[in-house]
Amino acid sequence: MLGFLKGLSVTLSQLPKKKVTIQYPDVQPEWPERFRGVHRFIPEDCTVCNQCARICPTNCISLSGTRDENKKLRIDTYDINFDICILCGLCTEVCPTECILMSDTFELANESRDKLYLDMHWLYENQLRYTQRHPERVAQEAAKDHEEAPAT
Amino acid sequence: MELTRAHELPVIQYEGLTPEENAELRRGGVLLNTLEQVKAWARSNSLWPLQFGLACCAIEMMAAGASHYDLDRFGILFRSSPRQSDLMIVAGTVTKKMAPLLQRLYDQMAEPKWVVAMGVCATAGGPYVNSYSVVKGVDQVVPVDVYIPGCPPSPPALIYGLNLLQEKIRRGGVRVRR
Repeated sequence: MLGFLKGLSVTLSQLPKKKVTIQYPDVQPEWPERFRGVHRFIPEDCTVCNQCARICPTNCISLSGTRDENKKLRIDTYDINFDICILCGLCTEVCPTECILMSDTFELANESRDKLYLDMHWLYENQLRYTQRHPERVAQEAAKDHEEAPAT
Repeated sequence: MELTRAHELPVIQYEGLTPEENAELRRGGVLLNTLEQVKAWARSNSLWPLQFGLACCAIEMMAAGASHYDLDRFGILFRSSPRQSDLMIVAGTVTKKMAPLLQRLYDQMAEPKWVVAMGVCATAGGPYVNSYSVVKGVDQVVPVDVYIPGCPPSPPALIYGLNLLQEKIRRGGVRVRR
């Protein structure tokens, strides 16, 4: 009888506490700033240096580019195969112009493996969506870039 | 509640029939179609997954089942026996040694059954894509309904995938054994 009351007192002491469950499909979870979700990509900044594709541990990035009239390399295609991408973030670390970055998009589940092969346009749209969701973070990034290289 | 996506399908106009006759044909299967919809609704809201944690994805699967994300909200309760479950969440790296056992457990599950490939290892081999001993995707062994990329996918990503599977079941995605 005493043990029963003891157990019940534990239950009752938990009752007035706040609920911990995140109601995910109704409420979006708040990710920290350095959360590694799906990539976002800024095509204007890319210099086609191929470092992201070289450092990728699973070789899931493939890209190609051509020189424009000013002999400057421009990106043509940029594909990430999310079948095998492990979202380690090494590509974002080596990128010299910080044009490939991590976003907090995580809803990528699909019924077909073909749809996990994402191209430049999807990644750029992801960047636009990220800008919409976190304008303050993108502004902070831009301010940091401006401090580091004010002349260019 | 909208259970099917029939209204999204293109409307077929049969030749040589009046518009009224066409409408009557499209309305077909009133009684049985509704029963199928009710069955799909019941199945989608009582998915019992088989515990199939093989690697670190299992930790995220456990986290999704615990109180913080709480898979019980969707009627998803983990079962320890393939006979009692109708969904297999393959969470983790499937080695070539494990593949026959995975297939046996899939065969032991009762119909109707679904498979979710959680994580890039189960989807396509992931970081072990060049390995000699890892199956390059569980779809080489069992038919997969939903792929969830990520290494490992966060609990919300898993919940998103499972909601996608529920939608698929409500559309009538019952897999029949051949």
